[in-house]
Amino acid sequence: MLNFETTVQDSKSYGDLTLSEVEPILKINLRSNKREFSTKIGKLLSIIPPIEANTSSGNEDYSILWLSPDEWLIYSNKKTPYEQQNLLEENLFNNISYTNQGSVTNVTDHWVMINLKGSKIYDLLSKSSPYDFKNFKMKKGSVAQTLLNHTDVILHNIDDNNINLFVRRSFSEDLWLWINDSARFL
Amino acid sequence: MFIINCPYCGERDQTEFSSGGEAHIVRPKQPTELSDDEWAEFLFMRKNIKGIQFERWNHSHGCRKWFNVVRDTSNDKIHAVYKMGEKPPVNK
Repeated sequence: MLNFETTVQDSKSYGDLTLSEVEPILKINLRSNKREFSTKIGKLLSIIPPIEANTSSGNEDYSILWLSPDEWLIYSNKKTPYEQQNLLEENLFNNISYTNQGSVTNVTDHWVMINLKGSKIYDLLSKSSPYDFKNFKMKKGSVAQTLLNHTDVILHNIDDNNINLFVRRSFSEDLWLWINDSARFL
Repeated sequence: MFIINCPYCGERDQTEFSSGGEAHIVRPKQPTELSDDEWAEFLFMRKNIKGIQFERWNHSHGCRKWFNVVRDTSNDKIHAVYKMGEKPPVNK
């Protein structure tokens, strides 16, 4: 597997607002519309992929985010060294892709994960997002795919005032600079 | 600017979507037997009504799914949203 270096590799704080890139995190994209897919994933990871829109499920090690009725994103909740990442990918690939149950794609280097913490994160995001954060804020585990400063992002509410933001690697530097620039004025 | 109720994700701002033009245009069953004019009619010619129009939309910055919308082009009021392959809930 190629080992890209991410462009951010930084962490900043502005008052009680903390922004930091978390890596290395394993991220795997799953696509399937087969009926047995859910039970297979349940057996392999002991997590059932969420069916309800804009939600997530997870355990101590992994979270599964709903992206679309037939698409999910798995990511590791703890830092996973690159050497260990292949194990899960191979396991999923052999059990799902090989048996024609769906597709498994390692997107570790495709997405950059930025953790945002603090009471003002929703003020920051609302500066340039068309999304209404009212329900997202209240419900732990909510997932939203939306735009932030014209860039596609996936947001995952992991706790009160604590969210993980996924942005495509090629857009990550631009978004990181914008986030820092905006955070100064909160 | 208006809000579109995505059948998969719920209410979202229009900026997250992209319009796919007129809906329910059936591809001719025998394209090889058509004249150039008939083929061009299918390929390029679209209605541009002032009033209620049946459109395709894609939630390109969200779930990336296609769906249909019944929209009044004069005031952007959305009368119905339904999934691909479903019959329009109002008479076309």
